[in-house]
Amino acid sequence: MSGENLLARTDEAQLYRDLSRSNLVTTWKWFAGAGILSLVLLWGIGVFVYMMMTGMGVTGLNRPVFWGILIVNFVFWIGLSHSGTLISAILRLTHATWRAPILRAAEAMTAFSLMVGGLFPLIHLGRNWRFYYTIPYPNERGLWPNMRSPLMWDAVAINTYLIGSLTFLYVGMIPDLALLRDKSEGWRRKLYSILSLGFRGTHAEWRRYHRASTLFAILIIPVAVSVHSIVSWDFAMAKVPGWHSTIFAPYFVVGAIFSGIAGVVLVMAVLRRVFRLERVLTPLHFDNLGKLLCMMSLIWGYFYFTEFLTVWYNRNPEEWEVFSSYGKSFLPVFLLMIMCNFVIPFPMLCMKKVRRSIPAISFASFLVVVGMYCERILIVTASLARRNDPFIWHNYFPTWVELSITAASFAMFGLLYMIFSKLFPIMAISDIKERLFHTTERAFGGASVEAIALVEEGEEEGSE
Amino acid sequence: MSSFVLIGLFDGVEPAAKAGHALRALPLAAENITSISGVPLPDGSVTWDPRPIRFSRYVVVFWFVGALAGLALALATYLLYPLITAGKAIISVPPTLIITYEVAMLFALLATLILGAREMGLLRFRARKVHEPRIHDGKIAVCAVVEPGEQEIRARRAMKTAGALEIRVEEGEL
Repeated sequence: MSGENLLARTDEAQLYRDLSRSNLVTTWKWFAGAGILSLVLLWGIGVFVYMMMTGMGVTGLNRPVFWGILIVNFVFWIGLSHSGTLISAILRLTHATWRAPILRAAEAMTAFSLMVGGLFPLIHLGRNWRFYYTIPYPNERGLWPNMRSPLMWDAVAINTYLIGSLTFLYVGMIPDLALLRDKSEGWRRKLYSILSLGFRGTHAEWRRYHRASTLFAILIIPVAVSVHSIVSWDFAMAKVPGWHSTIFAPYFVVGAIFSGIAGVVLVMAVLRRVFRLERVLTPLHFDNLGKLLCMMSLIWGYFYFTEFLTVWYNRNPEEWEVFSSYGKSFLPVFLLMIMCNFVIPFPMLCMKKVRRSIPAISFASFLVVVGMYCERILIVTASLARRNDPFIWHNYFPTWVELSITAASFAMFGLLYMIFSKLFPIMAISDIKERLFHTTERAFGGASVEAIALVEEGEEEGSE
Repeated sequence: MSSFVLIGLFDGVEPAAKAGHALRALPLAAENITSISGVPLPDGSVTWDPRPIRFSRYVVVFWFVGALAGLALALATYLLYPLITAGKAIISVPPTLIITYEVAMLFALLATLILGAREMGLLRFRARKVHEPRIHDGKIAVCAVVEPGEQEIRARRAMKTAGALEIRVEEGEL
């Protein structure tokens, strides 16, 4: 048996190099990747300017479908953002011992998804230069946002969540920024000195830092749930068949967590490969997230079935027309959604072999992301396309303008992540060190097992 | 003569804990001793933090302040810019609840950041504070505010006996 903690037996300099590889080494591949993503983003910006100058007529939007793929993107990105902070907060609060390598990637995903998603209502707005009308400020024209509108609730909730998520991400990084400050030179040292706020790692600082982290985790969970509930109410508050449903809020929250976990798995798989983090992001982490994903697939299936069954049974003509269109015009999207969200990933993720294989679980997660995108398409466009009067029924297809902006949103997300990885540690170094510090190996009969000290706030001693 | 900070550098938690306990036994007040480490240490393992953590209760206060601000924003909107719709009240309760809740949460989140940073003593860039960058290489620093003379000699001895790799004197705050 060894009484030493694992951190004492780790070469900390090597650990620092491994975990900071993303911002210590810049290869030509990084520049190439960033260059390609920048080009796609620039193209998207150019197309957006064209749309702004020409008018919304260049999109596929037409009566009765006035919400198209731009709103689909909004719901998709906000959904993707949902899980990062939520997972991180839940894992922090439950003291999940495997959480450390996942936290930063998940929290960053939330922040960047929100930044991208939050742009879409503004892009979709038409006459975009008037976006400031949503901001309440006294003006001589007597203009004031209408608080009765769910879109206004959205603006308030998303801004709260964005500020909360950025703060949560930032607070989690403070000890790592202090580490980078002490290890770097030149302009980076100046930058990290300011950003670390003078954190030194004294006992009093650590205690208060932990209390603040716990408090953030407690506060951010209800905010995360409220944000996606409010996004769902954008739809559910309208008397549109297929939207006006009491189940929408929990259904959206479930869908958001589902796609969010899949997003976290994909981001982790990419980071693991690009920054050679095999020793830190182990199959165990993917296995645990795979179990969560499997459970969410089941819950999503249950919610979808429940929603479908009530309409199927009572055959309210307005709603039935929407749902029956899934078997006609929207059949390919519907089938893709069912296959990608449930039929393929659920049995796959039940197998430990799949969950522990990085390519296999990445594939399952990719399917889920595709499936959830299809689900958003069905929710947003199918309901509007079969709205009330049959003589105005009209199917919607996005134009090259909308598709270009959609591609640019993915490029923007990737680019933000790449820039972040260059400036900040993509792994929560302090949390990983803390995990190693609390872990020792001890004899258990004839075997040697890891023992982890769980230190509760307010307790004086850690206990094994 | 004014007091200064004695900093002992230790290789691991055990010798640092011995030094921390020995310094307390000198006796030195708990508020005059602290550890600097790259990972958080449980309270009492090396040093004690006698100050209670207060900022969390103020976060609750700010939650209520935020709730009032949200309520005021929604109510002021209804009353100053009334939206008259047949058969509907000027003040609508469901949106008021949502706006109140979101603004309350926003205030609580910002209060956690600002009050937490303030209680940690962060953002005081001009204050001279003791610092030990070698904590990132696995070392633990034990720092004590001591009076020059007899107290300093005894504190040095306590650190050396505990196995300090290096002992130095620095002027500044803990």
